[in-house]
Amino acid sequence: MTDLFGERYFAFIASSYAVTSLVLMAMVVWVLVTYRSRQANLAKLEAAGVRRASKEAELRASKKERS
Amino acid sequence: MSSAEQTLGKTKNSPKQGPRGLTALANPSRFLALVRVALPIVTGIAVVLLAIGLYMGFSVPDDYQQGRTVRIMFVHVPSVWVAMMAYMVMVSAALGVLVWRHPLADVAARAAAPIGAAFTFLGLATGSIWGRPMWGTWWVWDARLTSFLVLLLIYLGLIALWRSIEEPAISARLAAVAILVGALNIPIIKFSVDWFTTLHQPASVTRLDGPAMADVFLHPLLIMGLAFAMIFFALHLAAMRNEILRRQIRTLQRKAARSARPQTTRSGGSVA
Repeated sequence: MTDLFGERYFAFIASSYAVTSLVLMAMVVWVLVTYRSRQANLAKLEAAGVRRASKEAELRASKKERS
Repeated sequence: MSSAEQTLGKTKNSPKQGPRGLTALANPSRFLALVRVALPIVTGIAVVLLAIGLYMGFSVPDDYQQGRTVRIMFVHVPSVWVAMMAYMVMVSAALGVLVWRHPLADVAARAAAPIGAAFTFLGLATGSIWGRPMWGTWWVWDARLTSFLVLLLIYLGLIALWRSIEEPAISARLAAVAILVGALNIPIIKFSVDWFTTLHQPASVTRLDGPAMADVFLHPLLIMGLAFAMIFFALHLAAMRNEILRRQIRTLQRKAARSARPQTTRSGGSVA
């Protein structure tokens, strides 16, 4: 480690890379967690029978095709 | 023309021909399909560039003045570049809201703001950590540092503006105007080191007479810059997808609330 960051300025170099890694990781976690929770919310609403207009149109079209 | 194309109505001047380019992306489903394909590719490029950049960055010799702290440059400078690039993405999205009224423009601006704020914070934090051993201080109120702090405040102000106005069309237009006003700060950040006496060093990469930096430091810096830009684009695509999902949930919740409300007659009496 001291080879990568040096002995004299170890704390400064290591902490700048640590804070960068933490912030980047936090952003990745933020987008992934938000995506999963929103997908779950959407699925819950659709399971309750509330559908988007585009999905309803798709369903109507497939029913029409079958009949 | 193939029979398949004729079946799909893809004749040269057919009115059934689908929209192209940015207009095609106005359809959220089409944009989400694009994100499904583009996100793994952009993420993969970002990871590869980051690995190469870090390897090159940790292989450079010590600088004759700054010693090994020169390695902080490989995270500090790309963070600052991306913080300003994110703002320019928001400026083009703001123009998309006000001029072309593209439905995804506000989504793009809103998704870029927290990511831009995070990169601005990184620029300030790593700059401060670099400043302590090199300048002997964590912070000075000089033009470059202060204008960059103002960028963070602008990002936070825009996020607050979006969150405080419920009506999406109004918040989109107000935020777009605020973004364009805030764009005045970008040239101030860039040229602050030329216009004012500052502790911060002048530009050493983007100069009219070429970079004033040895190739051994410049190459890893440029690779890390590209890696950070790719990280931004990957996060931005993912955040735009999240924002579209948020809007779809909101629409469905409103629809559910409307259908749950008992229907009323003109005299106000309930019919259900």
